[in-house]
Amino acid sequence: MRCHKAQDFISQEMDEHLPPDVTVNLTEHLDACSHCRAYRDDLLLGRRVMSATTPELPDNFEWKLQLKLNQTLQHTAGETVYPWAKTDQDKWRWFRNFGAAAAVGMAAVLALAMFVGPANAPRETGPDGNGGTPLGVVDATQSGAGGSDRLPLFTGRPTRGGLYSSGIQRPVAAGGSSRSAGGFLDRGWAGHDMEDLRTIQRLRHRNDQLNQVLFRQQQTIQGMRAHLDTIDTNALDLEQE
Amino acid sequence: MVNLSREENSNGTPAPGRVELRDIRDEDLIVMVQEGHKKAFDELVARYKGRLFSFILRMVKDPTLAEELTQETLIRVYIHAAKYREIAKFSTWVFTIATNLVRNKMRQRSRRPRVISLNPAPEDDEMPVDPADTAADPSEGIHREELAGLINDATSKIPEKYRIPFLLREVDQLSYEEIQQVTGLKLGTVRSRINRARNRFRQLIKPMLKNETLLQELERIEARAAEGKDKDF
Repeated sequence: MRCHKAQDFISQEMDEHLPPDVTVNLTEHLDACSHCRAYRDDLLLGRRVMSATTPELPDNFEWKLQLKLNQTLQHTAGETVYPWAKTDQDKWRWFRNFGAAAAVGMAAVLALAMFVGPANAPRETGPDGNGGTPLGVVDATQSGAGGSDRLPLFTGRPTRGGLYSSGIQRPVAAGGSSRSAGGFLDRGWAGHDMEDLRTIQRLRHRNDQLNQVLFRQQQTIQGMRAHLDTIDTNALDLEQE
Repeated sequence: MVNLSREENSNGTPAPGRVELRDIRDEDLIVMVQEGHKKAFDELVARYKGRLFSFILRMVKDPTLAEELTQETLIRVYIHAAKYREIAKFSTWVFTIATNLVRNKMRQRSRRPRVISLNPAPEDDEMPVDPADTAADPSEGIHREELAGLINDATSKIPEKYRIPFLLREVDQLSYEEIQQVTGLKLGTVRSRINRARNRFRQLIKPMLKNETLLQELERIEARAAEGKDKDF
């Protein structure tokens, strides 16, 4: 047996993968050849070194594996792995929220229209035959059988003598008839009546006046407070003396 | 959720269920995993984590990446447990997964652009591994970690096509037939590649094998390992 062939067989012999007859021949060769013996010793030493230097896993390997596995399972199940990570579901969240807000808004508008709409209806086909009379909700309920059977949107009358009540209590309708007794809020504003526009302008003017009055009163109060503080300080100083 | 924690009693001895699992074959354990026994998976992890890490680390040379790939292999075992059929040994299946992962990772690495040094150095593969520090201070000796590093360096210099069968044989003690299944090579090719890799490895570590300090450290490591085994028994 030549050394080249023997060295091929040495590797197989180390793995016990060599047929018995070839093993006998190899043993004979090794007994006679020191070079092949040294080669075999080197391979065996290499195997020893390899076995002795088996790397060790970090202590927290299993913990990290468990964490990663749980994350993978959650991800596989379609759950959000990280709360801060954006998912495809998040992309449409604004749309859902917007849709919900839009639906609520539409419902509110419809509800308002249901109350306000019938109140305006008699304007064109009123029971008194005047046509186009701006009946308020209160008037409609007060009109008995001819009016709407819905409850009024606003039935309470503004109290007299309040800070903002005077402007609202004024009759709005141009005719000054009993139809306008409900006031501006009771009637609802159609948006095309010039008289209503004038009323708004008057209210704004009145509001400005009241704001000025309020500002002056606040200034007066501040002055009085400052004066009061001075009095207190003097009194304290006197006591200390 | 899967619980990988070991069940042990307060005195540190394994719980009875654990002892029973130890006696079960890998192939039966994976069937138990298929049926939803999570403890069976814990046992498989305990059996294979070290072998997988050892194989992968010597392939990729980077401990962090090796740990990551070991985790990935075990996760794939758990997730795809239902796909396992007992036409092959469980170890063959596991190492096929690991080998594929390692190959993919190494392919990704090789696609990265290389940084070319302006100072040409001799080919890394041609340089034998030399424990230089030991000559400077022989009294200090070589620690296990340093020796392991040198061996890893030497292993990584074996060409990949020889290294995979070599490591599967030397580190994981797979049979030639199992290596054939993992790699998809012919039996004769497996045999010749292992032989060539061994010869290459011998050439690379030859300078180390002549070092007396290293041999002493090797004997110390082996003695400590034998003591540890004795204590276990």
